[in-house]
Amino acid sequence: MVASVLKIKGISKSFGVHKVLHDIDLEIAKGEVHALIGENGAGKSTLMKIIGGIHRPDTGSIEVDGESVAFSNPQAAMAKGISLVHQELSLVPNLSIAQNVFSQREPTNWLGFVKWDELHKRTRELMERLGVDIDPATMVAELSVGIRQLVEIAKALSMDAKILVLDEPTSALSEKEVETLYRIVDDLKAAGVSIIFISHKLPEVFRISDRISVLRDGRMIGTVKAEDTDTDEIIHMMVGRSIEEMYPPRASSVGETVLSVEGLSRGDELSDLSFELKKGEILGFAGLVGSGRTETARAIFGADPVDAGTITLHGRTVKFKSALDAINHGVCYLTEDRKDLGLFLTKNVRTNIVSSSLKKFASQLGLLQHSGIEDTAKYYVQHVKLRPADDKPLVMNLSGGNQQKALLAKWLCADPQVLIVDEPTRGVDVGAKTEIHSHLRQLANSGVGVIVISSELPEILGLCDRVAVFNEGRITAVLDGEGTTQEDVMKYATM
Amino acid sequence: MAISKSATKSSVREFVGRREVGLFLIIVAASAILSLLTPQFLNLNNFISIATGMSYDVIVAIGLTLVLTVGGIDLSVGSILGLTGVVTTMLLRAGVAIPLAVLAGLSLGALLGALNGTFIAKFKINPFIVTLGMMAVARGASVVLTSGYFLSNLPAGYLAIGQGKWFGIPIPIYATIILVIIFDYLLRNWEPLHSIFFIGTNPDAAELSGIKVGKMLIVSYILSGVLAAAAGVFMTSRLAMGYAQFGLGAEQRAIAASVIGGASMSGGEGSIFGTFLGVLLLAIINNGFVLLGLSVYWQGVVNGLILVIAVGVDAIRRMRRGEDRD
Amino acid sequence: MRSLGTVLKKLTKKGNIGLIASVALLTVVMSLAYPNFLTLFNIEITAMGFIQEALMALGMTLVIISGGIDLSVAAVLPFTAIIVGLLLKTSLGVWPSIAIALGVAVLIGFINALMINKLRVFPFIATLATATMLRGVALVITEGATISGFPTAFYEIGHGRVYGIPVPVIIFLVLAVLFALLLKNHSYFQQVYFVGGNAKAAQLSGIKVNRLRYVIYGISAFMAGLAGIITASQYVSASTGFGLNSDMRVITSVIIGGASLSGGKGSIGGTIWGVIFLAIISNAFVQSGAPTYWQDVVYGGMLLAAVFLEEYLRARGRKAKMKSWREFLTSG
Repeated sequence: MVASVLKIKGISKSFGVHKVLHDIDLEIAKGEVHALIGENGAGKSTLMKIIGGIHRPDTGSIEVDGESVAFSNPQAAMAKGISLVHQELSLVPNLSIAQNVFSQREPTNWLGFVKWDELHKRTRELMERLGVDIDPATMVAELSVGIRQLVEIAKALSMDAKILVLDEPTSALSEKEVETLYRIVDDLKAAGVSIIFISHKLPEVFRISDRISVLRDGRMIGTVKAEDTDTDEIIHMMVGRSIEEMYPPRASSVGETVLSVEGLSRGDELSDLSFELKKGEILGFAGLVGSGRTETARAIFGADPVDAGTITLHGRTVKFKSALDAINHGVCYLTEDRKDLGLFLTKNVRTNIVSSSLKKFASQLGLLQHSGIEDTAKYYVQHVKLRPADDKPLVMNLSGGNQQKALLAKWLCADPQVLIVDEPTRGVDVGAKTEIHSHLRQLANSGVGVIVISSELPEILGLCDRVAVFNEGRITAVLDGEGTTQEDVMKYATM
Repeated sequence: MAISKSATKSSVREFVGRREVGLFLIIVAASAILSLLTPQFLNLNNFISIATGMSYDVIVAIGLTLVLTVGGIDLSVGSILGLTGVVTTMLLRAGVAIPLAVLAGLSLGALLGALNGTFIAKFKINPFIVTLGMMAVARGASVVLTSGYFLSNLPAGYLAIGQGKWFGIPIPIYATIILVIIFDYLLRNWEPLHSIFFIGTNPDAAELSGIKVGKMLIVSYILSGVLAAAAGVFMTSRLAMGYAQFGLGAEQRAIAASVIGGASMSGGEGSIFGTFLGVLLLAIINNGFVLLGLSVYWQGVVNGLILVIAVGVDAIRRMRRGEDRD
Repeated sequence: MRSLGTVLKKLTKKGNIGLIASVALLTVVMSLAYPNFLTLFNIEITAMGFIQEALMALGMTLVIISGGIDLSVAAVLPFTAIIVGLLLKTSLGVWPSIAIALGVAVLIGFINALMINKLRVFPFIATLATATMLRGVALVITEGATISGFPTAFYEIGHGRVYGIPVPVIIFLVLAVLFALLLKNHSYFQQVYFVGGNAKAAQLSGIKVNRLRYVIYGISAFMAGLAGIITASQYVSASTGFGLNSDMRVITSVIIGGASLSGGKGSIGGTIWGVIFLAIISNAFVQSGAPTYWQDVVYGGMLLAAVFLEEYLRARGRKAKMKSWREFLTSG
């Protein structure tokens, strides 16, 4: 094995009380493509941000070329040859390719004026190295997402990056662009650049990487050579955790169909999705991020338009024009993004709980019955066991678990017949998690159709009666919750 | 026992911590100081003149508070006041019946507000720039219509609206008080209007909670326009003329008063009663300047300073709660 | 509608072709309607009539590209004029007086940046407050009276000529070239685009955003101060009435010139075309004898139209997805 260009030892990191990385070791060899994989929330992004100088580790050491380093900002990491290509691109659309590539490092004369000829020449060279023949003066706004990604890579190369971190680089690319990217990765590797490749897609991981490291729950599970392993082993490493939490018993019997969706399509995000939801059951939506689960939920809820497809509720075809429309028909959606789309953070618990059912507390003239609001809010505070058991605190001051409970209470209060919950236990401690699960089961038992979207396979398999597996905007399988393994689901989700 | 004690304590603290109470105490303090400094302050006639003088600002500021609460801004209120006043007086001079002329003025205010709201809600153009444009257009239009002249010779019946008195108190004062009470009540208790708190706090979450964000944005701007027009009617009637420059700078005083009264520049908070107290505070301070014989020119400085302090306090309050401007 | 959209898009895509074409068209129409329009005399009148706005627009371009706005310029202008007027009455001498007055202007710009940086107040409210206060202070200082009686050397700034060209026009041309060069070619000023175009990227590439804001608002206030000094010299007096509503005209020029209120977009070249466009329209009012108070209606309407067009094109450019309300409600 060649010498390590990057050596990480014992890195730990906490955000508040939440420990996201536990004692991570990782070595990257010169000129290797090293895949870093793991479920959502496994800690990949945090680890990469530490390597890239955006976060500082609580403990542990980083060595670059045998030299111990401590980065205080991204510039320091770049100076040592480490460049991050972000998932959210960091380009300025109204500047040219060249200006973006060499931002803050343009070749200038002694007065600080940019030497355009040299700037363009160097940018052109970089882009040619990536196999793209393009005028460096082209505005980034005019480029496709794929080319923009290449501009980001060119930016990294312009800093003589020795280590290039690509964070899910293919997620927004067309097939052809993906091939170009693979070729570039191979070229860079040949030129001695080390690449850390973060991905969800196992086939591509096997296609391009030399070694694979798997993170799970903030711990390094292991590093294996790509040629010595196979998909099954990697999946096992990713999901290996046993189902330790207790899940409520499954539905004993389910009723008639509440909601059926037929041929739901939109662009290349959703293609011809069909499924049925029965009264009293919990249906799981499994799949990777971006596989179309949230998009489906939002489309049903009337939050986003669709190109085609029919939605039938209680045997009647419906088409919701807005969220209000859906709520009035008893279809509710608990968003995955509780801070930006779900809660009113600067308002108190009471206000949040009644926010989706204000009209219920209004007289015919629209006058609000504040006592009714107070009583109802207090009831739900008790019902979901909010801590503190008070409807007055501002939601922003609650813990993640309690925020999630407040969000659940908000939708319980709206009295749904169909409730779609998106990542209902993300960033929630084990205790609150179990409580949320039992609320969802209770709701189903009371005759409500529940859809659970989750990236946690144990949760999906433990909680749901049936599981629809999403892959690139399609449902590739509908499995029984009972007796299905995480490996089965993963296979359909990544095939 | 212990629980109920702490509960009482916390509700006392909650009451004292309310913006309105603090503001009220400041007003009492300012009044006390002024009455020590000048004997003319504590005087019924002086109070009536303060109340009359501030009534236009209160009416305008009610609308502005609504717009701030919904998370927007309306810089055009002063110009809408001017233009609707001009149009109403022109109609009156052309012989249009008083109720019709007033109705036309109010409708014009509603229309201009609806234009603002539509640009903002439907075409999603920055509210600041929309209302800045409207501010210029409306002010320009009133200057064009009047050619810069005063429009006097208004019918006596019309003048009675602003100059008439019941029990020695001018009608605009009654109107202002009624409007404050109605809007304060509606904003807190009427579901459609109350929903603007949700919109101002988190418009995306509000939309997904089934609140009609676009519709309520437009309604808020319409109310702002109508209230500015109402202030225009009272002002032209009280001063017995229409003039293109009426309401100049009203938007700044209204913003200052709203923010002093508890509205937040980042939306989701606002109290009509608080705004009323905010205008009252500004009016008492200005009155103090006059009574103490200080140069009226200081008023601009003090108004600007109060705006900075109010906005600064708002910013610090947000920062302390850990919110970010962005 | 679709074809109209694409045509508009094409026109606005490459620089300011649409705007330049409008200026050309306006020029043709004006010279047909008023034979004296293209005379040197009239061009000079047009230029001098809009010189204050032109100067301030240069600074405002930086501010708007950085994603901010400066409403204090219309108040800094008379304030600086008054300061220089008062200083000229002392035995300080012309140049020291001008230097001090400009220094005061820059200081006001720093105060704007300070409020935005430290109090985290929105730029528009911070500069609005500054404007209100400055107008008040100006009134307090002058008690509403006009200051006059300046030395001849000061008179020359507004009235002198070099090679037949009025000094203010020369000042503008020099500064315009300097600003254009800096903004287009200087690595320091490129940062302005990063701050306005992608704040996160700006931070990641190590830009000191707060420090840059002092420079930007300082420059904007400096330009307003310069406009104030030139105005004082032109009128041989200083009054609180100077520069009324000029902020509106300045912002309109910059926006029409292609800058975006959401930041990251705009150029000095575009702003200059915007300024020329507005100057011609203002001259049209002079020529036609139409009441000048129509001007603000027209400018306000144009500002709305320009912003509307920009948003319309941008809306066409993005996917038909539900757009975040928050994004635009909290911008500006």
